[in-house]
Amino acid sequence: MAKELLKGNVAIAEAAIRAGCQAYFGYPITPQTELLEHMSKRMPELGRTFLQAESEVAAVNMVYGAASAGVRVMTSSSSPGISLMQEGLSYIAGSEVPAVFVDVMRGGPGLGNIQPSQSDYNQVTKTAGHGDYRPIVLAPSTIQEAIDLMVLSFDLAEKYRTIVFMVLDGAIGQMMEPAELPPMRELPTERPSWALTGKGNRDKNIVTSIRLGAQPLADFNDILQEKLAVIEKNELRYDELYTDDAELVIVAYGTAARVAHTAVKHLREENIPVGLFRPITLWPFPYQQLGELADRVSTFLSVEMNAGQMIHDVRESVGRQAEIEFLGRPGGIIPLPEEIEEKVRDMWRQKNLAAQIN
Amino acid sequence: MTTANIPLKLTRKDFVSDQTVRWCPGCGDYSILAQIQKTLPDIGYKKEDIVFISGIGCSSRFPYYMDTYGIHSIHGRAPTLASGLAITNPNLSVWVITGDGDGLSIGGNHFIHTMRRNINLNVVLFNNRIYGLTKGQYSPTSRTGAKTKSSPMGSIEQPVNPVALALSSGATFVSRSLDAHTKHLGETLAKAAAHKGTSFVEVFQNCVIFNPNEWGPLEDRRQRDDHIIYLEHGKPMVFGKNHDKGIRLNGFMPEVVQLGDEFSVDDLIVHDETSKQLAYTLSSLEYPDFPAFMGVLYQEEKPTYTEVLMDQIHTAQETKGVGDLNTLYRSADLWTVA
Repeated sequence: MAKELLKGNVAIAEAAIRAGCQAYFGYPITPQTELLEHMSKRMPELGRTFLQAESEVAAVNMVYGAASAGVRVMTSSSSPGISLMQEGLSYIAGSEVPAVFVDVMRGGPGLGNIQPSQSDYNQVTKTAGHGDYRPIVLAPSTIQEAIDLMVLSFDLAEKYRTIVFMVLDGAIGQMMEPAELPPMRELPTERPSWALTGKGNRDKNIVTSIRLGAQPLADFNDILQEKLAVIEKNELRYDELYTDDAELVIVAYGTAARVAHTAVKHLREENIPVGLFRPITLWPFPYQQLGELADRVSTFLSVEMNAGQMIHDVRESVGRQAEIEFLGRPGGIIPLPEEIEEKVRDMWRQKNLAAQIN
Repeated sequence: MTTANIPLKLTRKDFVSDQTVRWCPGCGDYSILAQIQKTLPDIGYKKEDIVFISGIGCSSRFPYYMDTYGIHSIHGRAPTLASGLAITNPNLSVWVITGDGDGLSIGGNHFIHTMRRNINLNVVLFNNRIYGLTKGQYSPTSRTGAKTKSSPMGSIEQPVNPVALALSSGATFVSRSLDAHTKHLGETLAKAAAHKGTSFVEVFQNCVIFNPNEWGPLEDRRQRDDHIIYLEHGKPMVFGKNHDKGIRLNGFMPEVVQLGDEFSVDDLIVHDETSKQLAYTLSSLEYPDFPAFMGVLYQEEKPTYTEVLMDQIHTAQETKGVGDLNTLYRSADLWTVA
């Protein structure tokens, strides 16, 4: 298929449809609404389910219901809406049904604003609801990558019977870029064996997050942790640019990584040996890979569109001996390449100065 | 007596804030804002005792434009903030400004419970049957079949009837008006303010950008009187520009009749705003199948939640005396741990 000029939200919706999304439940919220609107147009004409819920609370639980029946299902929202979904997310995780969530992040806390932000890093990577679990979190930085990760989201959700989040900021949701959509996949003809499909002659299936008694719940949590360990091992995704000879590495994802990429190219022209490490999975986080980079790089810069959320995972990856600085813009502001370049030049000067003194 | 002690007569201007009003040109919200600002000087409250609380949506920008206290709160939750405030400070005039999206979607649950508690507050719901702030998706009051950005083939949902929901939830004051009829709107708001307990005012509001034709002739000064019945307590239900039409009961079924040879004013329903049965019947008659009812559908004098709460506290104090935390703490079962 040829490349088309696609708007992020629309491209994501269409990619989900082509990946075989059978049901969509959502609620309008800027900057995500075009995704819902595309679903409202396309799902009925394909004989699939679209419902505009009365709230995000309703939407997440509609997802829970459809997922329990083994239907390939998703919802999408933006930061305050994702906050509303926390209860349902935890129940879905406790029930081990696959479900896909798209979060087109905006500035917070509270109502905040509708500007592009990475305000939900903590909210989505550090459980997304109560209890000991983690959703898989995918963070695209281009519309093409968003399309590809959207398709992957459904595969991972079903493979691990888990929640998969794709998080992007409002800029990727709203902008247009040339990208190629995948071909339409066949819908599954059978429901998964664990799904609630009517008992018939088989054994009874129960989908629940209730495990009364300390031991049964402890046992379930052990199983959940084993599953998360497998995901951590198998599903790490990240990208490295100019890190081979880098002496200073920027860590950034999503739109922040795009801006950082521009800055890195400019800085390389000035012969500053800077590289870019871009996590694609925010959970599992590439702790080990970033840690290995820290064996030969001692200076890191975390660039985020928030007040510093991923930086704690960067710190955990690279250890105490590395120097980490932060450049972030909360409130829905995208940092400019020049700001990053200025920061890196300054860090590079300090580093050389320190080397001379030593 | 010094001049400082003479209460100043408030005017509309006293309630106009220094903020630039940011609604689309031609939005019905401007009219509602103007009428509320006109009504407030006469409701018998000091400016500093008036609070406007909103949720999320175009209507919810309201508190910025009022020179009163205000809270721009959470989607659908304004009635809960207002309840908390009105109970703990019963001397305030508390106004909830909401819309069909905010008040009836995510806020539907809170709406019901606010209506049934009869806390002393006023709920004004701007109904334009569309989500305006997110640019045109169907709302809980959108007609079945409404084509919007999220219902391109037409909405397949049954709309909520706000006045019927308020009534069945136990509201003690249920009314309706419309943005374009400023005089009627002002009068209705004044009645809502005067009511003790929860007052509900549905305002038909015109979203000129995303749902401009929703109210059709109701918004047209030249045509509207043929499509509106102005309810007045104790008056027969006559309507029409020439006062030549009315509503009568045919058995249990209301019907529109032409006044003349067959029917006279004596055959028409006489509005009784204290009759819940009549209010239920009227609330079920929806425009455009019937002319739109405007005015007070129902009003009931009932103790407010706060009054009953205070009664309970007084009763408890009369029977057990005024409480003392230290005594209470030491009166419960205590264990001495060696």
